[in-house]
Amino acid sequence: MRLVISWLREFVDIKASAEEIAETVSLRGFEVAAIEPLGADDAVIDFEVTANRPDCLSVIGLAREVATAFDLPLTLPSAEGGARIRLAAVPVGKSDRITVSIDDGELCPRYAVAVAEVKVGPSPAWLAARLQAAGVRPISSIVDVTNYVNLELGQPMHAFDLTKLAGSEIHARRARAGETITTLDGVKRTLDAEMLVIADRDRAQAVAGVIGGADSEVSATTTMVAFESAYFKPASVRRTSKRLGLKTEASARFERGGDPNAQVVALQRAVALMEQINTGCAIGAIVDCKSSETTPRHLRLRRNRLTGLLGAIVPDVEVERILRGLGLAVSSAPDGWQVTAPTFRVDLLREVDLIEEVGRHYGFDKLPAAFPPVTRAAPPPDPRVGRDQLVRRALTAAGLSEAVTFGFIEAKAIDVFRGRQRSPDPQGGEVVGADTFENVLTIANPLSAKFDTLRPSLLPGLVDAVAHNRRHGRRDVRLFEIGARFTTSTERRSLGMAWTGATSAHWSGGARDVDFFDVKGLVEQVCTILGVRVRTEPIVAPFLVPGQCAAVIVADGPERGAVVGLTGQLSPAVADARGLPRQDRVMMAELDLDHLSKARAAGSDAIVPLARYPFVVRDLSIVVADTLPAEIIRDTIQASGRDLPAPLASVGFFARYHGKGVPEGAVSISVRLTFQAADRTLTDVEVQHSVETILAALVREHGAIQK
Amino acid sequence: MPDYPPNQESVAILVAEFERELAAAASPRDAQSLRDRFLGRKNSHVASWMQQIGAAAVEQKKGIGQYANELKKAVEERWAAYSEHAAASARPAGAVDVTLPGRVPLLGHRHPLTLVRERMEEIFTRMGFAIVEGPEVEDEWHCFDALNMPAEHPARDMQDTLYLAGPMPPVDGDTDAYVRTMLRTHTSAMQIRYMQTHQPPIRIVVPGRVYRRDDLDLTHTPMFSQMEGLVVGEGISLADLKGTLLAFGREMFGERSRLRTRPSFFPYTEPSAEVDISCWSCDGVGCSMCKKSGWIEILGCGMVHPAVFEAVGYDPEKYTGFAWGIGIERVAILRYQVEDIRLFYENDLRFLEQFPY
Repeated sequence: MRLVISWLREFVDIKASAEEIAETVSLRGFEVAAIEPLGADDAVIDFEVTANRPDCLSVIGLAREVATAFDLPLTLPSAEGGARIRLAAVPVGKSDRITVSIDDGELCPRYAVAVAEVKVGPSPAWLAARLQAAGVRPISSIVDVTNYVNLELGQPMHAFDLTKLAGSEIHARRARAGETITTLDGVKRTLDAEMLVIADRDRAQAVAGVIGGADSEVSATTTMVAFESAYFKPASVRRTSKRLGLKTEASARFERGGDPNAQVVALQRAVALMEQINTGCAIGAIVDCKSSETTPRHLRLRRNRLTGLLGAIVPDVEVERILRGLGLAVSSAPDGWQVTAPTFRVDLLREVDLIEEVGRHYGFDKLPAAFPPVTRAAPPPDPRVGRDQLVRRALTAAGLSEAVTFGFIEAKAIDVFRGRQRSPDPQGGEVVGADTFENVLTIANPLSAKFDTLRPSLLPGLVDAVAHNRRHGRRDVRLFEIGARFTTSTERRSLGMAWTGATSAHWSGGARDVDFFDVKGLVEQVCTILGVRVRTEPIVAPFLVPGQCAAVIVADGPERGAVVGLTGQLSPAVADARGLPRQDRVMMAELDLDHLSKARAAGSDAIVPLARYPFVVRDLSIVVADTLPAEIIRDTIQASGRDLPAPLASVGFFARYHGKGVPEGAVSISVRLTFQAADRTLTDVEVQHSVETILAALVREHGAIQK
Repeated sequence: MPDYPPNQESVAILVAEFERELAAAASPRDAQSLRDRFLGRKNSHVASWMQQIGAAAVEQKKGIGQYANELKKAVEERWAAYSEHAAASARPAGAVDVTLPGRVPLLGHRHPLTLVRERMEEIFTRMGFAIVEGPEVEDEWHCFDALNMPAEHPARDMQDTLYLAGPMPPVDGDTDAYVRTMLRTHTSAMQIRYMQTHQPPIRIVVPGRVYRRDDLDLTHTPMFSQMEGLVVGEGISLADLKGTLLAFGREMFGERSRLRTRPSFFPYTEPSAEVDISCWSCDGVGCSMCKKSGWIEILGCGMVHPAVFEAVGYDPEKYTGFAWGIGIERVAILRYQVEDIRLFYENDLRFLEQFPY
C-alpha cells in the first residue's frame, strides 16, 4: 500500500517526517518497502500489508495505526459542515432509477448503489496526482472518484453506465455455466456457476469483486452512472480471481475480507468527492441491499492472560489507549476488559488477537528477554541425527565431500536409470536396487520438467553432480549425500556415494584409479560403523556395468538376508546420457540408512578377554575355478574348521593370482589361516592336522589343487 | 702465491685473504685446499715463514716465529669455526627432503548447509532442546489445517505447494485419514506431529528440507532447509521467546548481537513477529551486507496460536508456547557471503572444498 503523506495528514495531524513515520509504523508490523519523496514537502511510503490486515490497504486504515502509534487523534469522514473529509448527506432509501436484487445471498451479503447524474471529464490535477502517487493511473473523473474512495477507505467501487444496464436492473447472481463477458481489459472471458456476476436484466455486466464489463463501461459520453459499493464473500472472489488469472486492486481487497458495513459511507464519500470536483451529483437515495447482517464482535480480554502471554505488565491506561486508538470499544470488566471489535477488523477473532494489538503498539522491543525454565530433561534426539552425523564424519574422513541435491529429478533421468532390461527383485520388499526406478512418485504441478519426479534414489542426483564437476575440469570427484528418497510406498533416509578418478595423488607415485573394491570398502566401513555385518552378492542392475555390480545384504541378526543397498560401476550408457564421458569409471553405492539402523545387531558391549596362548599362522595357496566366489571358499573353510583339534580363529584372503603357472579358467587364491586355543599352546601336529582337514574339504567341495 | 715478508701487516693481509676466500669457497673441497695453502706442511704460507727462520738473522728469528704463529693461530681459529658450521649443516645418510609434501589422507568437506545446521543443533541442544525430524511428504492436515490454515487460505494455493500425482500412505502413528499428498512447505508440520504424540513441556528443534513451487534463480530454489523450534509449557511468554532467540543469536552471530522484534503475521502464531539481528559485519552501523540498515532479517516467530493447540488437543487455557522457523540457506548465504543460492545445490567441488572438514 502506497501511502501518500499529505493524504495521511488529512486524517492525522502529524508533524513527524516520512522517515519517522515509516520507522515507527514498521515496528508496529508494517514493513516498509520504500520511501519516495514527492515534490518539496510530500512523500510516499510503500508499506507491505500482511494478509490479515486488509483494512490497512487504505489511507484510513494506516492512519489509524499512525494515530495510535503517535498517540494523536484520528479525524474520521463526516457529513457535518466543515468536515475535513466530507461525506455527502445522501440518505438510504428507495430509488426510482434502479432496482437492485441480491439473488445469491451467500456470495453477496451486501450490495449498495447510488445513482448520479454526471459530466465525465478529466480529474483536477490534485486528484490525478494523488492517484498517481498512490500507484493508480487516472482515467476519467468518475472512475477516478471510485479509485480514490477505494484507496482512501478501502472499499472497492465500480461505476456502471446506467443507460447501458438493461431494464435499469442490477442482479447479484451466479454466472450461468458457459456465460461469457468481455471485461474492461477487452478480454472475452468464460465464466462458471461458482462465480458471482453483477448482471442487468439480460446478462452479466461485471465479474463481482474482480473487474467490470466493457459494455457498461463509463465513457466520455456517459451522463448517468450507478456506483456500486458491495461486500462479496472473500473466498468466492479469491477463487474467481484465481480461476480467471486476474488480480485487481478490487479483488486484492475483497479476497482478504473488507468491511461489510462500509458500503454506504463509501458511496456518501464518492458523492461528496464528485460534488467537490464538479463532475456530478447524486440522484435520489442510496439503495442498500443486505442478505445478512454482520455485527461487531464482542471479545473478553483478561489482564492475567495479557501479562502471561507478553511476559510483561502493560499499564491499564496504555491497554485502553491502544485499543481505543485502533477503533475498538473498550469497557472495564472484573478481570480485565470487555472489547468490541469493529467489522473492518476481520482479523480480531479471539482474545489472543487483542493481546497482539496491545503488544504490537506497546512495543515488542519494550518486552524483557527471559528464558523458559527447564522443568524436565530433554528427551534424546531423533536417532537419525547422531547416526547421520557419524556416517558424515566417516565419509569426509575418507575423502568424500558432502553433496546436497534436490529432492526431485527429471523423468528423463528415471528413464535412463530404469534402462531396458528389468531384473528380478532379489529379496522382495523395499530395497535400494534394480527395481528402485519402477515405483516412482511424480509431482502433479511441477514448475519445470527438471523437477517433475521425486527421487527414488540419490544416485541420479549424484551422477549429475559428478558430471557438473567433470564439465568444470575436475577429473577426481568423490561425493556423498545423505537424504530422503521416495517411492510410491515410502520415504526413507538414504546414503549415496559416487567416486571417479584417482585414489590418491602424491609425488612419490602409487596413484591408481578407483575400482570396485574402493567403493565396496566404503560400504563395508559405513556398515561396520553402524554395527551391521554385511555381505555382497552379484546382481544385475540396468544402470550398472554387468559383472561389477553387487547387492549389499545383511549377514546376520534379525534382518539377515535383507538387501540394504547396492554398489557397482555406472554403466557407460547412463554416464553418456547424463553428460559424463563414456570412458570415465564412476563407482557408485547406495545404502538404506533406515534399514541399516533396523538391522543393527544387538551385541554385547562386554570385551573379549585377551588371549593367553600364542596363535599359529598357516598360509595355504590353492588353485580353483575362476568363477568360484571367495565367499564360498571362506564358508567351506569355516565349515570344515569347526571341530578341529586346533581352533580356527580367522580366515583372511591375501592374494589372488591369474597367469603364468595357473591354468586358463582357474585362479590361484592364497588364504591365511590363524589358529588359536583359549586354554593351551597349540602343537605343530594339531595345526598340521587341521590345515590338512581344511585342504581336504576344499579339494572335495571345489576340486582345489594345492600349490 | 705472492711472497709476503713476515710482519704484522702481512699477517693481517693474509688473514683477511683467508677469510675472504673461505667465505667464497664453493665446496668443502675448495675450502680444504684453501686451508692447505695457509696451513699445509709444505708450500703453505705458514710453512714458508717457518722455513725462513732458519735463514734469517738471529735477531729476526724470534719475530718471524712470532708472526708465523700468529698467522697459524688466526687461520686455525677461522677454520675451526668454519668446520663446525659445515659439520652442522651436512646431510646425514638416509636424509629426506623434509620440505616435500607429506601423504595427507584426503579429507572431504561437509556441506555448508550441514555446517550451519549442526551449529544450530549444537546451540539448541545445550539449551535443552531435543532434535526431532519429520517426513518430507506430508498430508494437508498436518501441513495446513492443523496450523490454522483452513482450506481457503491463500498459502494453500497450488502456486506455492507441490502436490504429488499419487498419494503416499500415512506414516507410523497416523490414522488412515492422513493420506500424504504433498511436499511439506515448512517444517512446522512436524510441530503438529510432535504435539500429537507428546505432552508438554515441549522443547524441540526440527531441522529439515522443505519444498515450494518456486523457480530456480539467484535467491529462490524449489527446495531449501529450515529449522523449526517449538517450546510449549505453562506460563511461556513472548519474553521467553525473545530471550531464547537472543541467546541463540549471540552464540550464532557473536556476543555483541542485538535483536529487533517486529510484529508480523503468520496464521499459526499470534502474536507473530519477524526478528532482525544487528548486522555482525558492521555491528549495526550500516554496511553493504545489511543494505545500510544495520539490521538483518533472520527469522519469523510467534506465540503458538490457540487454534493450533486446539487442533492437537491441548488446552490453550493451560498451555502457551512459542515457535520459530529459520532458513538455513539464509544464514549460510549471509555467513559465507554466497551471492547465488544455486551454489548450494550444484555441488561444485571448487565451492565445497572451501568449507571445513
